[in-house]
Amino acid sequence: MPSATPRPDDSTVALRSPSRPQAGAPTVLKIVIAGGFGAGKTTAVGAVSEITPLSTEEYLTEAGADVDSLAGIEAKQTTTVAFDFGRLSLPDAPVPLELFLFGTPGQDRFVDLWYDLSRGAVGAVVLVDTRRLESSFTPVSFFEDIGLPFVVAINQFDGAHRYHPEQVRTALELPTSAPVVTCDARDPNHVAGVLLTLVGHAVKSASAGPARPAATTTLQDA
Amino acid sequence: MRTYTLTRGRTKPRHLLGLETVLDAGTGRPGPGQVAECEEILALCREHRRSVTELAGRLRRPVTAVKILVSDLLDADALVVSVTDAYTASDADADERPTTHLLAALSVGLKRKWPDAVGYPKAG
Repeated sequence: MPSATPRPDDSTVALRSPSRPQAGAPTVLKIVIAGGFGAGKTTAVGAVSEITPLSTEEYLTEAGADVDSLAGIEAKQTTTVAFDFGRLSLPDAPVPLELFLFGTPGQDRFVDLWYDLSRGAVGAVVLVDTRRLESSFTPVSFFEDIGLPFVVAINQFDGAHRYHPEQVRTALELPTSAPVVTCDARDPNHVAGVLLTLVGHAVKSASAGPARPAATTTLQDA
Repeated sequence: MRTYTLTRGRTKPRHLLGLETVLDAGTGRPGPGQVAECEEILALCREHRRSVTELAGRLRRPVTAVKILVSDLLDADALVVSVTDAYTASDADADERPTTHLLAALSVGLKRKWPDAVGYPKAG
């Protein structure tokens, strides 16, 4: 049954923010968990999530590999990217909170998704498998560039060589301010500890003044 | 059903919805001729408020397609957006980071939920 309120024609409705929001709900905070294939992102999300991690799909438009350099036109193609979603409620926090966790793959072509996920986020955890350290470079550079607080968490796989966090810091060329910790992504206490480390780091970053990406440099008075 | 059919050929949602935008069931009813997925979305949101991402994950449909269906349901007042944001998502110039007050609350909430969890560097 159509609503009694006349609605503007579809063609005239501009993209707008949803109206009549509902008050009183817990505040949602989000954290991004990035890492290479097999680094344990889904495991880490699942360790603290109240729901089984959901695999969610989104379309990404990316520049095709076959660029017509003569015409200067990039062939665009749409690909599907899957990322994990988990959530947990923190009713005992001083303010009722719900925490959303987004687990996202570490490849370059997911950068558009990372922008979406990073907007308004507390920060990011870059989950590292020391056997595939190179897959951590892209997310580390990305979060550095956009000024999102991040921590590096080394997922200590059974049987893998144990590197000292400082060795990983050096290999990833991390700033001294970025915490590097070790964890077992299967252990809720460990994952919660990593999240606590990130929150502490985010507080420090916030009091040190918000890191601004170069693209949004404020205009200076003449 | 192909995604294109699901959204009746539309490729862009009419509402600004984030991946973390949370939806509650509203009082309105969806118009006639809605796809079955709209009823699924409403049933899920009546049970528990859900984020756009969670709805997409549960429906096994791409996020954009779900945003298009959610937009229809918002227009019909069958869904409402929960105020949950720690920042103003619609204001591109707003400081997008959660406040230190909220971060402190998050820290306390995590510690209460996992008393054995240890963050680094340790306090002190």
